[in-house]
Amino acid sequence: MGSSDLDRQIEQLRQCEIITENEVKILCQKAREILAEESNVQKIDAPVTICGDIHGQFYDLKELFKVGGECPDTNYLFMGDFVDRGFYSVETFLLLLALKVRYPDRITLIRGNHESRQITQVYGFYDECLRKYGSVNVWRYCCEVFDHLALSAIIDNKIFCVHGGLSPSVNTIDQIRTIDRKVEVPHDGAMCDLLWSDPDDIEGWGLSPRGAGYLFGGDVVQSFLHNNDLNLIARAHQLVMEGYKLLFNDTIVTVWSAPNYCYRCGNVAAILELNDKLESNYKIFEAAVGVDSRGAGVRKRAPDYFL
Amino acid sequence: MTDKLNIQLGYPPMSEHREGLTTESHDWTMIQAGTLVKGQEVITIDGMLPVEEACEILIKHNISSAPVYDPAPSETTTIDHPKSYIGMFDYADLISYLLIVLRKEVPPEDETTLEIKELVKRALNGEQVPVKLASDLSRKNPFCSVLPEATLVSILDEFACATHRVAVMQSNGNIMGILSQSRVIDHLYKNIRHFPDLHPLVNKSLRQLGLGEAPVVSVDADAIVLDALSLMNKHGVSSLAVIGPNNSLVGNVSMTDVKHIVKTQQKLLWATCFQFLSAIRINQGVVDGQDRHPVFEVKLDTSLLMTMGKLVATKAHRLWVTDEAEAVIGLVSLTDILRAISQSTVNQ
Repeated sequence: MGSSDLDRQIEQLRQCEIITENEVKILCQKAREILAEESNVQKIDAPVTICGDIHGQFYDLKELFKVGGECPDTNYLFMGDFVDRGFYSVETFLLLLALKVRYPDRITLIRGNHESRQITQVYGFYDECLRKYGSVNVWRYCCEVFDHLALSAIIDNKIFCVHGGLSPSVNTIDQIRTIDRKVEVPHDGAMCDLLWSDPDDIEGWGLSPRGAGYLFGGDVVQSFLHNNDLNLIARAHQLVMEGYKLLFNDTIVTVWSAPNYCYRCGNVAAILELNDKLESNYKIFEAAVGVDSRGAGVRKRAPDYFL
Repeated sequence: MTDKLNIQLGYPPMSEHREGLTTESHDWTMIQAGTLVKGQEVITIDGMLPVEEACEILIKHNISSAPVYDPAPSETTTIDHPKSYIGMFDYADLISYLLIVLRKEVPPEDETTLEIKELVKRALNGEQVPVKLASDLSRKNPFCSVLPEATLVSILDEFACATHRVAVMQSNGNIMGILSQSRVIDHLYKNIRHFPDLHPLVNKSLRQLGLGEAPVVSVDADAIVLDALSLMNKHGVSSLAVIGPNNSLVGNVSMTDVKHIVKTQQKLLWATCFQFLSAIRINQGVVDGQDRHPVFEVKLDTSLLMTMGKLVATKAHRLWVTDEAEAVIGLVSLTDILRAISQSTVNQ
């Protein structure tokens, strides 16, 4: 697959048009090759813009690129949960993947708890693949890519980025490097915790109401930062009405990048821009207006029952 | 001190309810029912309300059960119920009611009381049914009351027999609160460091306690919800494992999930169990701002303490027990745990 072919696919995906099943197969193969070389804790150099959950909200992803700058002009880190719930999980994930293959050093994708076979069957990505392609092959190819995604990232050795949070089984960054990540997200253990845990107003650790991962307090964050010589943990995984939320004396931040989540929550979204001095600037953005809502009619949306 | 205790118990340091650094020893068996329900807002239901309105009360207050009172007691009211409380209405009763209305699945003749006969007659005629006729339809949640001074060890016997909740009632007939199995487990778990008598027990694994391995009632992911409810009713269980391809556990349908059916005007009754699960999960994640894992599970080697902790954290009434291959091999419920605790007092 030549560069021009990939460029053409990127342009197509930018118009929210899907590429063929065979093109997806090849794209996923290339992506796996690139991702396989990445570490469980992928090193990134600032400047970089950090983004949270997207959840298939394609037109809001376009808003994000308008606000943060197009890739590759801006370096990006996406902290997982690219798929499920939104109407355009397929187009969203394939665009990000195509950008990754085209500009591997300008965009980093790490795994969220939704990048999982079990979760995508319940929350919509599987159904969307089946509906848009008439077969489950595209879903299978994407799940194989999910297995190869890095678990976390570290920016200039100072800012640790992970989708969910911390694990009682992990005290150091080096311990994360020893995990065998190229598997379906387990139901428990360190890899599961990194993708499922949440910070909470407690001391120490607690069991999570989600049924996977843990709750962890400010003291745990403090220890982790100290033991690993870090300044900040950036994570996503929880809806934030204001787009981003700093906790525990600004030692951890939740960044949420899906505005008007599920097309009904009315929240704003945020991205975190870090310059080369690691100074942070949060940019807020709202849902795209006047969007082509053809997705709404076509999809037999279970949530309609509750509206 | 708490940390050391929890590490000794093989569990990460627990942080809830750190009341200073004291670790006084208390006798958990003597905890009184009244103290566990202090400050509760008690919701009761007028027996003359139609079943649908009674259901809305449960949904509005986010409870799964409420005492039903007869506003005009007559000769036909049985006198073994205190004052005018004639039963508990819960989602199990609602399911039985729906099955009668939609499928004419009537309880067997020998189990049918006068109330049920009257209910069936009205339901099949398309008439409104007052909830007082439905309050013990499922025969699973009778109205039980205890005095505020009743001790936990005595109530445990009741809970160990699968009674899910008791009304804590003063001698004048006033209900102070509803004491549920969940509340008891919550209290014991969060204050475990004060109950050293329980430490040897809760430190054991489910396997060691003989818990968690038993045939579970399951339903295929493609089965329709109405069939699942029928199965639940027939087997007298409050939850079914939903099994997908390769015998994998994809989720569960519980009695309390029926509230989603009521909210959607029953459209979901004819969805497949998988679609039902998906719809519930998708909606819950938006409401909470965070998604839950599709299954809540433990392993046979999980400690009783950890199991209790997970039940408290997730507010579930049972956890599935899975093996290494994530296939479901059993379940552990609040009843199982309380029975194990109750039995441990006998053994002492």
